[in-house]
Amino acid sequence: MTPNRRKIHLGVSIFLAALAGCGPTKPPNIGLDEAVRSLAAARDAGAPTYAPMELRNAEDHLAQARARFAKRDYDEAANLVQEGQADSELAAVRARLGKAREKVDARMHENADLRQRSEAGDNPADAQGGQP
Amino acid sequence: MRWLLWCGVLLIGAETAAFAAKHDLDYERLRASLNTLAADPVLGGLAPAERAFAEQAVQALAEGGSKSEHAHRLYMAERRVDIAYAAAQAADQERKLGELDREHDRILLAASQRELQRVRMDAERQRMESEMRAEEAERLRLEGEASAQDAEAARAQAAQTQRLLDAQSKAADLARREAQLAEATAGDLRKRLQNLRATRGAQGMQMTLDDIAFAPGQAGLRPEAKASLGQLVAFVNRDPGKSIRIEGHTDSRGSTDTNRLLSQRRADAVRNALVAAGVAANRITSVGLGEDQPVAGNDSEEGRARNRRVDVILEDQPAH
Repeated sequence: MTPNRRKIHLGVSIFLAALAGCGPTKPPNIGLDEAVRSLAAARDAGAPTYAPMELRNAEDHLAQARARFAKRDYDEAANLVQEGQADSELAAVRARLGKAREKVDARMHENADLRQRSEAGDNPADAQGGQP
Repeated sequence: MRWLLWCGVLLIGAETAAFAAKHDLDYERLRASLNTLAADPVLGGLAPAERAFAEQAVQALAEGGSKSEHAHRLYMAERRVDIAYAAAQAADQERKLGELDREHDRILLAASQRELQRVRMDAERQRMESEMRAEEAERLRLEGEASAQDAEAARAQAAQTQRLLDAQSKAADLARREAQLAEATAGDLRKRLQNLRATRGAQGMQMTLDDIAFAPGQAGLRPEAKASLGQLVAFVNRDPGKSIRIEGHTDSRGSTDTNRLLSQRRADAVRNALVAAGVAANRITSVGLGEDQPVAGNDSEEGRARNRRVDVILEDQPAH
């Protein structure tokens, strides 16, 4: 390889690098994909039933984030994504809480019922035992 | 012109101060809320990760920044505090659910243990009952053998006495004839027991055993009578729910007390025979009524024979 050729190679490399640097600005990753996944997770967790308001907040924030992102207002979009993310997490945890409360209620009734029935089941046996 | 500038400066200053004060209030409010959560005896120990996350968000609120940045941080801090509360409450509910599940299992376990205990006691009671019944049957069998031996000996003695007196007195002759009559009736005893008929009495359906089922003057049933009680057993077992009243009766000869005793012992003998044949002892009551309830006149031999009887009554109304 001649020194001349080496120079040409160097020049091409510099040119390509410059080209890459001067291309249209690549949009930053503001975590929108992750926020969308969190929203889906909240829906799966039962948020439409147990935390509809929180879910609506999350949806609104993500919609606003997309609108800002389209206007290249990336800082505000990133904030809105974070807020939507937090809304989704809150919706999911409140859904978890609502479900757990329902289960606790159901189990409490079930136990009371069971205790009553098992006590009632005892009485006829006692009465039988008492007969001559 | 100058005062206008001052006013502007003051206005900006006041606005900044108001913003800072509002800023502080939000911070204080959320910090207090987090402290309450941390100090809660139940929730304080739960969901520590979510609470730490909320702590960071509230701390970020204190670090200042632009007005819009502050609004964002405030929103985040509020959501994080909400999440910390909800996560702790959810963990608490899930812990309660776990306790209730364990309680559920305990109740089921206790119920099944009670059931098992009940079944065991039932089985034990049945075992003891059948043991007692077997013992009683065995006892009655032994007693029967003993009384049969007694009867055998008594008969032999009577025969001897009879032979002795035979030639000497008219009374002995009569006694012999009576004994012969008894022998003859014993022959068709089985047939008569098999032809027993149930009739309706005042207290319910009844069957009457007449006195040939018993050795003369004796309380025990004749062995052949015991063997042919099938008809009577079938009668009382026709309705196992009803109680059985056994009444012994005699004629009017002899003292009232003796008659009462004899009738009681004959009623007991029938009771024992029924129990030995498998009838539940607690269904049966036996009474000796002596000569109080004749069904015929006592002035003829035939009438007296009809009065000497044992009634087995399947009671329509239980006595108790």
